[in-house]
This record gives sequence, structure tokens and C-alpha cells, in this order.
Amino acid sequence: MMKRTTTPVIASIGTLSLLAAASVAQAVTIEVSAWKGNDAEPAGMPELIERFEAAHPDIDVEFSYISRTDTDIVLPPRLQSGDAPDVMMADMPLVKVWSDAGLLAPLDKGTWFERLSPAVSATVGSGDEVYVMPLEVIGMGNYVNMGLLRAAGIEEPPTTVDALVEACEALDAAGTSPMLLTGGFPAALFVTANGLEPDPSVAAALGAGESTFEDSEAFAAALGKVRRLAEAKCFDPKQVAGVDPWSTALAEFKAGSFAMIPQGAWNILDFSTVDELDFVFAPIPASADSGVALDLFGFGWTISSQSEEPEAAKAFVDFFTDDANLQTLLEAESAYSPFADGSSGMAELAAPYDAARAAGASILFPFSVLQWPKELEAELFDSMTGYLLDIEQDPEDVLVRWDEIVEDQ
Amino acid sequence: MGKYRIYLFTLPAVLVLGIFFVYPILLSLRLSFTDFTGVGIPKDVGWKNYERIFTRSRYLDALQVTLLFTLLVVTLQTAIGLCFAALLHRLPAIRHFCRAALFMPAMMSFVIVGYVWQFIYSPFNGGLNAAFGRLGLAAFQHNWIGDPNTALLALGFAHVWMFVGYTTAIFLAGYAAIPQDLDEAARLEGTSGWQRFRHIEVPLLAPSFTINIVLSTIGTLKTFELPFIMTRGGPDGATRTLSLHIIDSLFGKYKFGFASALSIVMLILVVLIAYIQNRVLRAREARL
Repeated sequence: MMKRTTTPVIASIGTLSLLAAASVAQAVTIEVSAWKGNDAEPAGMPELIERFEAAHPDIDVEFSYISRTDTDIVLPPRLQSGDAPDVMMADMPLVKVWSDAGLLAPLDKGTWFERLSPAVSATVGSGDEVYVMPLEVIGMGNYVNMGLLRAAGIEEPPTTVDALVEACEALDAAGTSPMLLTGGFPAALFVTANGLEPDPSVAAALGAGESTFEDSEAFAAALGKVRRLAEAKCFDPKQVAGVDPWSTALAEFKAGSFAMIPQGAWNILDFSTVDELDFVFAPIPASADSGVALDLFGFGWTISSQSEEPEAAKAFVDFFTDDANLQTLLEAESAYSPFADGSSGMAELAAPYDAARAAGASILFPFSVLQWPKELEAELFDSMTGYLLDIEQDPEDVLVRWDEIVEDQ
Repeated sequence: MGKYRIYLFTLPAVLVLGIFFVYPILLSLRLSFTDFTGVGIPKDVGWKNYERIFTRSRYLDALQVTLLFTLLVVTLQTAIGLCFAALLHRLPAIRHFCRAALFMPAMMSFVIVGYVWQFIYSPFNGGLNAAFGRLGLAAFQHNWIGDPNTALLALGFAHVWMFVGYTTAIFLAGYAAIPQDLDEAARLEGTSGWQRFRHIEVPLLAPSFTINIVLSTIGTLKTFELPFIMTRGGPDGATRTLSLHIIDSLFGKYKFGFASALSIVMLILVVLIAYIQNRVLRAREARL
């Protein structure tokens, strides 16, 4: 009796143990935090996570949307207490602070690091270790309402300052307000692009205080160009100086009140929802025929040094080095790949900006790659507003303010 | 032992104050002597943060803007609140409705108020300029928050619009405490409305003045929401308050140690001003 019942019991116990072991081996969950992936800015995240989980049935992804502002508030305490997400979206300022505190795990460069474009590679690989796998480079250029331009007899978006002046004169004659060059951001983009155009490599030296803005002929000339635009009636400097570039200015461009505004490509999706808005995304008008494509290094994936699932976290990060997967994000974001051999997610309306990049006129925005200190950004916005309010002032008085901030660091 | 037992009843309140008020201040004070970035281990930097605050003109300018903004808001809010209260005291039929209506802006979120007023002040067909145009007052059209000379005033007006209901309600409560006999006796003596207001109501509203002025001063000194939303401290720093510098230092620059130092300076400023105000206004109450 005992012999007949013992063998089946042992076999059952063995089978159950094997099943339990198999299910334990599958149960890996990683937490991923990002400021993309909600309804307003999906960035293809829901689809990509689904695709990743299908490709890795042994890994579950618990996705946490945390806005960029909340990332500064929510994640530091979690990082300090050892409860950080396994994978975190971060930009270079966050990467610097978190990696200096030893809270990020160095990434395995694999084959993706060599594929990065030289400018991006120089940024993320500046130390011995690499802590971020870049996901996107996003353009900052000139939005041009082609409907208004064509009505004024201009068929192409201006890519040089001379062409811009011509366009402004034509638009003004047609009774259209040409440009919204507000002090807070658009003017800063214009001056940065034109100031760095002759020699983009000088950005690092300016940010480190090895060269000064005051002695920079290029930046003095850039401010001179702003004055020239004001004289050509591209804008009323006193009127546009204090306009909020993140709300009022965008609303006015969408309403067709102004023909042009320098801004970031992240507005393409929002502008595209306005049916009557016939616009293109062009480079910032500068001296060269191509204009300047001012690129912003956006964000990337980092892995917490406290992650209990480093292999699963690595698998998630590696998933985005595949061009086909990254393309989904880039198309949703209207952004460019950080890889030299990568694709673009930009729409057809950004063809002028694409052309500028193809012509080699791309400059990385110095703040996004930590070449210029964050404190300088606020001063740049403030001083450009001050310059617009008193456009006759000596450009040196503006540039000295920037040098003072750099010296202070 | 028996007579000290009563102090045991204060223990819960003392604990709450200690944990949620005193401890965070002591922690901020400690952090203000470090270069803490929000993560990692803070490194001691001595008085460097404080030295920076008092030797860089931009922080002293921010202090000046903060004090000017507070003076503007407190003066306007108290004066307008008193006028509304005096009017509503004389109009009992509509008093409750008007008090509720005046309170409504304070119920709205700062974000909504900020964006609404930003569009009202917009130089491109904003509500205010459009109204001036329609009324034949085009000469008054202006770039309200784009001009450093008017930006602080414009922000102050939005702030007063939001909180004048509170001030009015406190003054109305003060009016309710004024004995009606005094008003009747004054009327029998043949005094005018202005004389009753000037010589009877205003002196007897002294406690309401104290509360209004102290509360609105403390609240306005710390404010950052409307400057943050409407102007982000611009144009060219014209509306950059000390609180904005604290927020900028914390989020974006990750200078928690420096932001803590700014917070301690602001705390000392608020306590000092509140103490002086309280003493002066209480003394005034006693005299009246």
C-alpha cells in the first residue's frame, strides 16, 4: 500500500517544485520613470513598453510618469533612501548631479556608444564612465507661417539674416507682424546661434571662462543683428521684450498674429493641431546660407546604482539602441536620433531644418551639454529682455553680464 | 506635580510644532552651510553661501523687489479692503452676497489666476488694452508686464484682486464688533459719514488693521506664484523676488545648500518685519 501511494506523491511534489521554480525565474519587474509617456507627450512609450515586454517575457515594466519638474522633487528623496526606480529618464544636468553622488550605475557601452554622433559622444563620454544612453536630439529653429509669407510674396523661409530682413520688410508692408523675438527664449536662441556660428568650438571655452563674451566679436555681431532686425521692423523690441515665450507667444503664433518665432521642435505637434496654420520648421537665420540648426541634447536612460535588477534594466536600455525601436519615439517627439547612423523622426514640414543639419550647420545648445552653467541661462534671458527694452545700449554691457555669471561659478 | 500636569496637554501641539516646524528650520540652517545638491553627502562650505547672498547685487535687488512688492500689495489691499468693508457695512442687504463674491478669487488656483491675468495684460489684444481701446482711452494702452516700470504694479494688482476678499472679511468682522450705540450717538450729534468713519470706525478697527497688515505682509513676503507664472521674474529681473531665487536655486540649479541660505535670510526678514509690525500696531491699538 505504501509503495503504491509514495511514488505518485513524490512525483507530484517534484513537478510542483519545478513549476514553482519556473514561475520564480519569470517574475522580474523593473520600475521605469520618465517625463514622457503620458497623454500629452506619449513619445511612443506605451507602444514601446508593450513591444519590450513581448520581446522579454521574463521582464515586466512598471512605468511611472513623473513630469520634468516633479523629477527634481520626487526622485532625489527616493535616490537618497535607496528606493529609486531601476531605469530613470534624465538629461545632462541630472546625470551630472546624480552621477557625482554615486547614484547612477556606469553603463555598458556595448556597440551603441561608438554609433553616437561625435558631438553627443563627446558630451556623454566626457569622463571615464558613461552614465546615460541618449535617446534624442531635438531641434530649436524658426517656425515660419508660410501662409503669411506667401501672402506677402515670399516663397521660401528665410535662412539668412539678409533674407530675414527682406521678409520682414515685405510682411510689414503687407500689414503682418513679422516676428515674435521675445526676450525670454527666442532672442536667446537667435543670439546663441549667431554667436557660435563662426566657431562652435568656442562654446566650451566661453563657459569655462577661458574666453570672454565681452571679447567675442561674434556675439557682439549677433547682438548687432538683433538691432538690425528691430530697425527693419521685424518686431517692436519694447513690445515683445517681456512677452512670455511659453504661453502668450505660442498662442499668438498659432492664432496667425505673427509670421515667425524661434522656438523648439517640441511645439510641432501642438502647432499641427491648428488646421489653418500652414507652417514650416526652419533653421535660425544666420550669416551662412544654410542658417543654423541649434540642436538640444534632450534626454536619455540612466540606471540606478541601487537597482536590484541591473541585467533587466540593461536589457531595457539596450532595447532603445535598436533603430527600429528608437524611431517610434523619435517620430512621436519630432526629434533626431543621437546616433550618427540613426534615422530622423521629423515631419516633412521640418525639411528646411533637416537641410541645415545635412549641410553641417548643426550646433549643440551649450546648456544642454553642460558647456555653459545653468545660472547663465537665466542671465541670458534677463539680459536679452533688457537689451530689447533698450536696443541702443552697447552690446558690451550685455556681454559683460554673461561673463560675470561665468566668473561667479 | 498637579499644577504642572496641565502642561502635558500641550505636548501633542508641541510635538507637531517641533517635528513639522522647528526641525525643518534647523535642518535648513544646517544645510545652508553646505553645498548640498539634493542627493549625496553635503560638504561643509562655511559662510560661503551667505557671503554670496550679501555680496552679489542680484540677491540684494531681489530683496528690494520683495520689499517693494510687499509694501505695494499690503497698502493697496488694506486700503481697498477697508473701502469695501466700509461700503458693505452700510449696505446690509447685499453684504453677504458681496462678501462671497469678493472671496471667490481667493478660491481659484494661482495657476489659473496667473494665466488669466497674463492674457488680460497681454500687449497683443489683451483684455485690458482692448477695453481701453473700446472706451476711447487708447492712450492708456501699455505693455503692462513687459515694461519694468509697470510690471511689479501689474503683478501687485493681480495679487490684490485675488486676496482683497480676505481683507474685507476681516474688516467686516471688525465692524461687527463696533457697538451700534456709538454710531447712533455720533449720528445724533450731527456728524457726517466721513467724520464717523475717520474718528470712530477707523480707530475701533485697529485690531482688524493689525491682523490684516501682519497676515498680508507675511503672505506677500513669501509669495512666488504670480511672479513665477506671469513674468518668471522678468522683465530683466524687475519682478524677481527672493522666493523666485529660492525656487530657481532648488529646481534647475540643484543648489539646495544655497537655497537653504536664502530661505534662512527670508525667514529672518519675515520674523523681523512681523515682530516690528506687531509691536507698533499693538501699541497703536493700546493708545486708541
